[in-house]
Amino acid sequence: MINGTKDTHSFWQRWWPYLVVILGALLVLGVAHDDQLYQTPILKIQSVKQISSDKQTDQFNNEDRQVEQALHGVITNGPNKGKHLQIDNTFLKSGATTLGYHTGQKVFLTVHHHQGRLSATISNLKRDTALAFTVWLTISLLLIMMRFSGFMALASVVVNGVLFWLAVSWNTNTQGGIVLVIFGGLAIVFAALTLLIVIGFNRQMLMTLLATIGGTALSIVVALIVFALTHERGVYYESMQYVTQLPRPLFLAETILGSLGAVMDESTDIIASLMALKTEKPDISAKQIFKSGRQIGGEIMGPLVNVLFFIFVAETLPLALLFLKNANSWGYTFNMTMSLGVVQSLISGIGIVLTIPLACGITSLMIGGHKSWGRLQH
Amino acid sequence: MGTITALGLLLLICMVAVGGTQGLQAWISLIFNFGALFFAMVLMAFHLPPVLVTLVTGVIVLAMTIFLGGNDSSSTMVAFYASVAVLFLLVILIIPVEHWAQIQGFGQEDSEDLEGMSTILGISYLNVAISTAILSTLGAIAEAAIAIAAGLAEILEQHPKITLKNLQNAGFKVGSQIIGTTFNTLFFGFFGGFLALFIWFAGVHYSLGEILNDKILVGEVLMVLFSMMSVIATIPLTTWAMVASERQARKKFLK
Repeated sequence: MINGTKDTHSFWQRWWPYLVVILGALLVLGVAHDDQLYQTPILKIQSVKQISSDKQTDQFNNEDRQVEQALHGVITNGPNKGKHLQIDNTFLKSGATTLGYHTGQKVFLTVHHHQGRLSATISNLKRDTALAFTVWLTISLLLIMMRFSGFMALASVVVNGVLFWLAVSWNTNTQGGIVLVIFGGLAIVFAALTLLIVIGFNRQMLMTLLATIGGTALSIVVALIVFALTHERGVYYESMQYVTQLPRPLFLAETILGSLGAVMDESTDIIASLMALKTEKPDISAKQIFKSGRQIGGEIMGPLVNVLFFIFVAETLPLALLFLKNANSWGYTFNMTMSLGVVQSLISGIGIVLTIPLACGITSLMIGGHKSWGRLQH
Repeated sequence: MGTITALGLLLLICMVAVGGTQGLQAWISLIFNFGALFFAMVLMAFHLPPVLVTLVTGVIVLAMTIFLGGNDSSSTMVAFYASVAVLFLLVILIIPVEHWAQIQGFGQEDSEDLEGMSTILGISYLNVAISTAILSTLGAIAEAAIAIAAGLAEILEQHPKITLKNLQNAGFKVGSQIIGTTFNTLFFGFFGGFLALFIWFAGVHYSLGEILNDKILVGEVLMVLFSMMSVIATIPLTTWAMVASERQARKKFLK
């Protein structure tokens, strides 16, 4: 793949990733100066003066410093453009909920007109440039290192992102009443589209799709059975964050989506290797295919489960630390912050493991059994 | 029996049924990783420097995941070295970006969770955010490193006389095969977990500008991107490490 362009020597084929990188860099530069696009007034901080710094303690003997600073800056957009302002800001050094600012940063303002005088408070930091820069860096690395396959990987992520957002809007329009139907159904569309992009339309893709959907569905069914048998003891839906609708179906939808990618990853790996094996040894039996598939699957399942585990559970660290520092016990902290992530990891793990026999079974039925049956006829 | 215990035991049974000893190892590495994560958190609560704790935990976790995951000892060694190199490269990237984006701590969307809580913590939440980002990529780094190293080990086994140049090309080829599906694992893993937040954005009608500057969303997207970059970096680093180890092995063989 990396040398695929050498033969043609076409200028465009060789240099397109670099052109995209340069165009992207210009876009990032544009985002750094996009203040005019915002309706909210933006202040560029030009100088910062520290007014005071006091020691603070709470009832749990935590110590922190509360700092008061005076920010001077100039408004960079809107009707008040060019006006200078001073804003006072108080923050805690630990910075869990409040933020200290420094020279050069841009912040969004809520402006108040008070008897003809302009005053303002800071509503948020402008983060779009940092975001755009990191997106640019990722895409640049991807295209330069992986070229065409990188581009396809990017394409599938972008397509899935757009679909994801459409599904979220649809869910909002139906007040969250059919969240499981929407995201369950969309999981199928996601899987089909991604596999079309990664594999292309052929028998291998259909087999992979079947294994992916089957594995994900199976994990949810198993989870629901375990939930019913254990009466969901130790599953604290009230600890779910950002919940605006019924938490249980939402949690299941999150779990389906969360494990979908890993299950797809795994079935793609297993089935692609088995297809390659079949090409290499055309007279391999269905039983042997199943056996080698199980071995391949056994090797990748552990690392895959850990991928999801770290994604689901590492995110809970800031909140868990807050709970611990508020003198909660380890057990209570675990229940209220980490338990749902752990449940999600375990359900996904079961899905990942159950996909292995499923993928092997489908493959050996489709290519192993069929072929050997065909040979019998000769 | 609690649901978590039941699911954990069921996972153990499934893993052993499918993978035998390897399944047991996979289950142990998962439990160990949970222990390591929890222990790291407790150390941070005792005011040990979060980033340092994370780096030590990270190296240990990578070792456990890789050595309990693979079975070919020479390729797992290479995978481990490469993954540690990726981890340190990633830290060099994550620290400045997190200082720039300032996504640490909690956003306005979290205010319900924070009710009645003291936020006088004495722990730098910027460092906690850096730690969180590093920790969330560990699984992805380990998985990619194992995949590349195992793929190359198999090629070496089948074609022991392959030139080093071709071995390197093969590494990139294996990489190009895994990158598409790995990206989707990461994308769905992260975005599935934050479905509720996106529903919140849609429900409260955030504008595009508000979403692109939102503390929690930017933090989340940065984590996805760090993970993706770590996978991209793992491909060449593992390949080069494999080529270097093969070059040394051949030199020894010639002597």
